[in-house]
Amino acid sequence: MQNNWLRQPRTWVELFVLSNLGGLAPDIFLAHSTNHFQARAEWVPLVFSLSAPVILLAAIVTLALGKLSPWRILGNVTGWISIFIGVVGLVLHLKSQFFQQWTLASLVYTAPFAAPLAYTGIGLLLVLNRSVDAQAREWAEWVIFLALGGFMGNFIFSVTDHAQNGFFRQVEWIPVIASALAVGFLTVPLIIRVNEGYFKICFAMLALQVLVGLAGFALHLHADLHGVGKNLFEKVVRGAPVFAPLLFPNLAILGGIGLWTLRTMLDGTSDAATVNRS
Amino acid sequence: MNFRAIFLALVIGTALVVSAFLINSRRPRVVVEQPSASFVTASGKCAECHRNNQYSIVHEYEMSKHAAKGVTCLDCHQVAQGQTGTNHNGFVINFGVTPANCKTCHAAIYEQFVRSRHAAPSWVAVAGNQDFSPEMIEQMEKLHPGSMKRPPHPLTKLEGGPAAQSGCIACHSIGRPNADGTIGNCTFCHTRHTSSVAVARLPSTCGQCHLGPDHSQLEIYTESKHGIMFAAQQNLMNLNAPSDTLTTKDMFVPTCATCHMSGINGRGVTHDPSERLSYNLFAEVTQPRPNAERAQAKMKDICLQCHTPSLVNRVYTEGAAVVDATNEKVLAAKAIMDSLKAEGLISTNAFSQPVQLTYFDLWHYYGRTAKHAAFMGGADYVQWHGNYPMLQHMVELKAQAAELRKDNAK
Repeated sequence: MQNNWLRQPRTWVELFVLSNLGGLAPDIFLAHSTNHFQARAEWVPLVFSLSAPVILLAAIVTLALGKLSPWRILGNVTGWISIFIGVVGLVLHLKSQFFQQWTLASLVYTAPFAAPLAYTGIGLLLVLNRSVDAQAREWAEWVIFLALGGFMGNFIFSVTDHAQNGFFRQVEWIPVIASALAVGFLTVPLIIRVNEGYFKICFAMLALQVLVGLAGFALHLHADLHGVGKNLFEKVVRGAPVFAPLLFPNLAILGGIGLWTLRTMLDGTSDAATVNRS
Repeated sequence: MNFRAIFLALVIGTALVVSAFLINSRRPRVVVEQPSASFVTASGKCAECHRNNQYSIVHEYEMSKHAAKGVTCLDCHQVAQGQTGTNHNGFVINFGVTPANCKTCHAAIYEQFVRSRHAAPSWVAVAGNQDFSPEMIEQMEKLHPGSMKRPPHPLTKLEGGPAAQSGCIACHSIGRPNADGTIGNCTFCHTRHTSSVAVARLPSTCGQCHLGPDHSQLEIYTESKHGIMFAAQQNLMNLNAPSDTLTTKDMFVPTCATCHMSGINGRGVTHDPSERLSYNLFAEVTQPRPNAERAQAKMKDICLQCHTPSLVNRVYTEGAAVVDATNEKVLAAKAIMDSLKAEGLISTNAFSQPVQLTYFDLWHYYGRTAKHAAFMGGADYVQWHGNYPMLQHMVELKAQAAELRKDNAK
């Protein structure tokens, strides 16, 4: 087994993707249950989310064994399929209400047309991990960029989902503010050089995302348990999206991987100049 | 500290938050200012599915005054007193909206409706009074003598269930009692999801039931000057004007609703169409209604919004003369029927002999038509669809009576 494989950032990304694909399965099941899997195509992401983790697990084992060729093939195939599913999902979701009406109300209540891009993001991570050297600064920046894209999605969904009930409770603005801050703080390292102090603030900001996500999960679960439905499943399907807030800690982990790697690189290179600038 | 980096991050983050606030502030206040989150969510969530499944109901609702005023799907479909709720995709709703729901906002209107012949008497005419409490029967009998203490119309039994269901009941269920204790359904006239006052003011809305030989009001109206002008000028009228501020400028041509219900020029709206009626023209032999004097004054007051007193009084005088003349003709026919009964020549089974049908047609179709037309400006219906067929049926009735006596003498 290759030495230190578990301490390599690219292994963390592999594990991140594995857990995300697995985690998407129950989320997709609940989301598509709202319309009883009306279209056959709605089963595709679910089947993929259930089967892809097995392939990825095999890929990680080959990585641990130092066999990079099968690791690349398995990951690339899974990654491109994931990208394809995400893009096709986006197109299918585009047929939703908003694109028929183009009103603010229809935007609020439309199917989450950008949600399938989660698959695209995950697929891009797999391809990135195999096509860019994980030791290079570019790799870290791409990881941060993809985490940033995720937080941008979180921002949009926090706004539109909570607008559905008119931000009835003030607390519903918290994820909007949190995700906006995440977007702001993750954008900056991609456009200017930053120093150690900034990284610390970023990690604190990511810790905040974890807290917001866990609190959101608890609040959504509470709302669902006290919601309307014949049984718990119906309450969860029709109620607040119980897994959605967990995207915050999830993306915080991804952003953390990217920032941590970037920070490590700065430690050994131009740190002094960066620190001096501050 | 890297001030530039932090400043930039906060600017980006703040810009996003401000944009979210700005977008949210663009949402109509009537949509978001609701008593609970469910009410905010309801219409949008309902539309999400129903726009695909039943596009019209969402479209009609979105055009309605209800939508403009922030009345949500859940407002009307919530479970009112006496109703049973159903879990429906995250909401507890009542599928069948009844006046129990409408009266949560429109209580006074419902009270007016309940006093009207549109309510219980309408249902009793086809189903009998067993669905109503003794108190209700007594109360309504006082307001509408003979309308509550009566059996179901014999035709409903003779013609059979399917005919009654798709025929009689389709109209008379405007007064059907609901399981929640209310009566009727406001959507009969205001239509579902549009909840439109404009639709209720259309002659064709009243005409969905008030047409045909038994009460030809729609045909009479169409023939009248009122109807002709409405057909020509409908597009110039403001049928959507609120009922409490409706004026003759909005509806300078009257429809059924203008004279019988609307509160035009501050006259006070009513949902009891009997309130301004001084005669029971529907009856075999017409009598003044219990409140005839007051009712006639109210109706004349409406007429005077457009016409001079001399014209209004002339119409009433001529109408009363037609009523008297028709009563005489009906009474003459009735006398023949009574004598045939006394001679034992009429079966106790209703509608079993040609002579019974002839007499029924004489008063129920042509007598009614002549009387209604006299008050509504329908000359052709006074004459060729009223008095002439009455004469024709009188001749036939006499011939049938003679035939019965001749057969009996053999």
